[in-house]
Amino acid sequence: MSTSRIGASPTRVGGHGRVTGLQQYVADIRLQDVLQVKLVTLDCARARIISIDTSAAEQVPGVHLVMTAADLPQPVPRFGPQFVDRPVLAVGETKYHGEPVAAVAADTKDAAEEAARLVRVEHEELPAIFSVAAALDPDAVLVQDPAIRPNDPLARTNVLREHRFGWGDVEAAAASADLVVEGSYVFPMVTHFAIEPHGFMAAPDGDGIAVWSSIQHPNWLQKILAKLLDLPLAKVRVFAPDPGGGFGGKQHTKFEPLVAFMALETGRPCRLILTLEETFQAVRRVSTEVHVRTGFRTDGTLVFRDVEANYLIGAYADIADRTVSKGSYASCGPYRIPAARILARSILSHTPPSTAFRGFGNPQPIWAVESNMDDAARALGIDPLELRLRNLPRKGEAFIPYDTPADGDWEQTVRRAAELIGWGTPLPPGRGRGLAVGMKSGPTTGLSYSTVRLLADGSVVVYAGTSDMGQGARTVFAQIAAEELGAPHDWVTVVMGDTAVVPYDQQTSASRSTVLMGNAVLRACRDVQAQLRAMAARLHGVDESEIVVERGVVRLPDRVLPIIDVLKPGLGRLGGELIGNGEMRKDAEPDHPLGGSAAFFEFNCTAIEAEVDEATGDVTLLRHATVSDVGRAINPLQVRAQDEGAAIQGLGHTLMEHYIFDESGRIRNLGAIDYRIPTSMDLPLELLSETVENDDGPGPYGSKGMSEGALLCVAPAVAAAVRDATGAVIRDLPLTPERVWRALQERPTR
Amino acid sequence: MHTFAYARPATLAEAVALLADRGPDARVLAGGTDLIIRLRDGTLAPAIVVDLKRIAELRPGIREEEGRLVISATTVMTDVAADPLVGRHFPALAEAAAVVGSVQIRNRATLAGNICNASPAADTAPPLLVYDATVVAAGPGGPRRIPLDDFFVRSGVTTLARGELVTAIELPIPARRIGAAHVRRTRRRGHDLASVTLCCGVDEAGLTRLAYGSVGPRPILVVDDSGLLADPAAPAAAKAAVFERMFAAARPSPRSMRASPAYRLAMLRVLGRRALATAIERLAAGE
Amino acid sequence: MIETCPIELTVNGRRRALEVAVHHTLLDVLRDDLQLTGTKECCLVGECGACTVIVDGRTVDSCLMLAVEADGAEITTVEGLAPEGRLSPLQQAFLDRGAAQCGFCIPGQLMSAHALLASNPHPTVAEVQEGLAGNLCRCAGYRQISAAVLATAEGAER
Repeated sequence: MSTSRIGASPTRVGGHGRVTGLQQYVADIRLQDVLQVKLVTLDCARARIISIDTSAAEQVPGVHLVMTAADLPQPVPRFGPQFVDRPVLAVGETKYHGEPVAAVAADTKDAAEEAARLVRVEHEELPAIFSVAAALDPDAVLVQDPAIRPNDPLARTNVLREHRFGWGDVEAAAASADLVVEGSYVFPMVTHFAIEPHGFMAAPDGDGIAVWSSIQHPNWLQKILAKLLDLPLAKVRVFAPDPGGGFGGKQHTKFEPLVAFMALETGRPCRLILTLEETFQAVRRVSTEVHVRTGFRTDGTLVFRDVEANYLIGAYADIADRTVSKGSYASCGPYRIPAARILARSILSHTPPSTAFRGFGNPQPIWAVESNMDDAARALGIDPLELRLRNLPRKGEAFIPYDTPADGDWEQTVRRAAELIGWGTPLPPGRGRGLAVGMKSGPTTGLSYSTVRLLADGSVVVYAGTSDMGQGARTVFAQIAAEELGAPHDWVTVVMGDTAVVPYDQQTSASRSTVLMGNAVLRACRDVQAQLRAMAARLHGVDESEIVVERGVVRLPDRVLPIIDVLKPGLGRLGGELIGNGEMRKDAEPDHPLGGSAAFFEFNCTAIEAEVDEATGDVTLLRHATVSDVGRAINPLQVRAQDEGAAIQGLGHTLMEHYIFDESGRIRNLGAIDYRIPTSMDLPLELLSETVENDDGPGPYGSKGMSEGALLCVAPAVAAAVRDATGAVIRDLPLTPERVWRALQERPTR
Repeated sequence: MHTFAYARPATLAEAVALLADRGPDARVLAGGTDLIIRLRDGTLAPAIVVDLKRIAELRPGIREEEGRLVISATTVMTDVAADPLVGRHFPALAEAAAVVGSVQIRNRATLAGNICNASPAADTAPPLLVYDATVVAAGPGGPRRIPLDDFFVRSGVTTLARGELVTAIELPIPARRIGAAHVRRTRRRGHDLASVTLCCGVDEAGLTRLAYGSVGPRPILVVDDSGLLADPAAPAAAKAAVFERMFAAARPSPRSMRASPAYRLAMLRVLGRRALATAIERLAAGE
Repeated sequence: MIETCPIELTVNGRRRALEVAVHHTLLDVLRDDLQLTGTKECCLVGECGACTVIVDGRTVDSCLMLAVEADGAEITTVEGLAPEGRLSPLQQAFLDRGAAQCGFCIPGQLMSAHALLASNPHPTVAEVQEGLAGNLCRCAGYRQISAAVLATAEGAER
């Protein structure tokens, strides 16, 4: 009897390909007779397109097509996951720096590049909106044509949506509070910077189309393409190779429709791989300005919280508004609060479309609320750790009315992080400590199907439509199947990323896949186990009710057999296999403000010890402790890698990442030289990551989703440590050396 | 990238003739870590690229010759940083060469290329200035020796004439002991371009040479021969006054993305103090 | 008119004779002309290290080297780290330590690690971090990568 696979860390499925260079990402796949595509863009934030002259471009040898909006079906098709707002190519106006005006398809990259340079776009630069203040100005130009949302009272503003949440009576609570603390906080524009730039290919496929994309949501893409191309789903085949990092930036449709139209027009496969600069112009996190006002009793008990958040989204909505609603809904934080008011706005701007990014609208309000808690702790004279503990809900306690109650022992997580940082122990002078908590709702709805095939020799094939972009989904599903069906770990194959072969999965996001797809895989295994039970009953003349099939074995009344010993005789001379199907569904709750309550919460506590060089503003992170409640780590090595990765990625927006604009809204720091992300030399001197596992999640074996938690509250924890060390209060990210230095210059003398 | 012709001359004379003939249509290629980027982004579109790496006379190497250290033009940063002679006589240069980019960049980027590129932020420029480097060039008019301080004009521009190329950088082996340190400001601990780059050298006669970059169109060399900076016992206020005179030439660009002028000017003072203190320590330690 | 140039180079121990476009980089030629797609394309400005290969014993960003400059050179890419079907101890350590998440940066990390260990068989943690600082990982699996490199160094000792 082999020991359990669950909680072990077997080799990553797909790891071999990654360490040999054999793994095929989209850009590595060679299609015969493929045409290379190059985008034509304008070097300004916003412009009116007067005319496009493609004649010189078309003369370049090897060019097959120079496509503009005029060559598309009219009116130009639009798409988007929430709003059908984004045209396949710019129509009449470019609305952000980098919006494509035309695209060239040619035999070689050189020819495509040369032709792209020769496309003459006569254009008039227009004033662009790229700040909240500019967008909300009553005289501001409208980013979006009001005709796109005709029945919307906000259509004549740049506010795409307003979200209001709340409970209790905030004004009454405010009157009764002993102390009210407020502040405004800014979270910058940052970009995903996956090391694999987005890649897209499309090819005519009989009477349908085949598309390759680094997409995280292949089925969603399939649906959008089918609609745009007026094809049945069954004729749109999406291949989704494992992305080289997604972080949310590859969730939704971007240039697949363009490449598909080009493939259909030319009759040839077409290939577009973005440059790194183009990815900065394609995807980013929503930036925000958040005002928080919180009321406390003198003992630190929370009385009310009032949050107003202006989220600056891009020129096209993508999924940004969902990040706004979901993030702001939970923005009061994991606290017991009698009264709350939340107002959040999605505000359009002439900037690259913002989209999902690890944390999904939560890091921004968490930056504000946790900094506000730190402010309050000082004003109240209460230890910041105590202030959190005093207000955390207990496990099972509702803290957002009518929503999922706290689903973990969050106090345990917080105390462990505090212990790891040595909270309360003496600190040498010049050092400071900070602590913060972060919480994010998991998926609110979901639907995943899986098929599992138990082959005649006991090996297993698992079909799962999840996208494995580094989080290790393949491995987790292989572990589940191996565990349930008694197969050795390396006897399990996991098939993903082909909509013609793999059953439906709604999406890979919200840290959902271990719970939703994991449960679907588990149920598919249960289906196989049920068939094995029937087989065993038949073979051994025993009633099914007396047989249990679980964890790789068949338990008969008088003995226990490994599954293979039932399978082989059961299949008999003709052989064959057993096929199981599983479905995991979380239905929508139409009355819920978000359409559904959280399947689980990701909860993290981050504690930082830092030292600041006051002459230069350099922040040295001496110790970074991060503890996440994950329910059960099915693969601890992968869980740790994800948690540490999230923590370090969080240090990016905390210490160094931001878009830099010029006065006209053009992005100045496209590319790797002037947009800095953490390198191996930018790690905290000590990084301690741990998990809390109480088997209390809704996923297989008590697991919860994870991988976003450790990013959520890095920024406020670091800022609190900087403040503790120096007295400087900083409310805008990132905490670059220069900005810290400035804050030090400006702080009141102690 | 636009296409171009590619030449790989085998001798210095060939290379000079080619460059003299083609003038601004030609660009020299050594390490390529600056040139390739500019070819790709279109800021340079030469008709011909002249690769220097097969020229016999320019073979990479560092040797001592008649009281000078001669670093040939194709010597890469990795080798400058690791060379025992550089480490012994010009340790601040080794320090600077070791932080130019990443390992991969240092394996290709040449010392000569770094100064010919004439970025005001070139990290090797301050130590080369402090150590009184001379650029040796070959051209149609014959060989020429150019003190490094006369070599830089402004960003991207040197005093090399048409047809000239750098064949070596020479450093006089110091007659007096020097303690020196290179320091810089970056946006992260990982490899980065400098917001301020600075080198300070103090010799046993009390002469202080200080050079700084990334705060104006070209690296600046300033000298204090009063002995005040070099004196460990001199009051900080007096030293600060000397520093103010030394940094008066700084003109940081308001357009820079890396740092604001106010921060750069403040950091000049911080780095100047720190580099000076380290230089004095190193001199006393008898390196 | 695109200028081409004949070059001869050794790639992963195998001599290759090619006609390359003069303005194509070594990265272009490895991926497109030789179908060695293990080496990856990302920033194209020598910052991210995804394109790292070994040229004449030293790591370089192949995006910053013209293919013509590689004439006569000996190149090793990730495909050349171990004979076909096998894994080098370094690759095995990367697998064992969970160093590869999305995997896109890993070929570059492996080349830098391989070169580091060749010149410094017993690096400290700091030396590993600095030696691999030119290889960005957005999954930020830096600690797992460092652990794998150190484990390989230790393993070689025994």
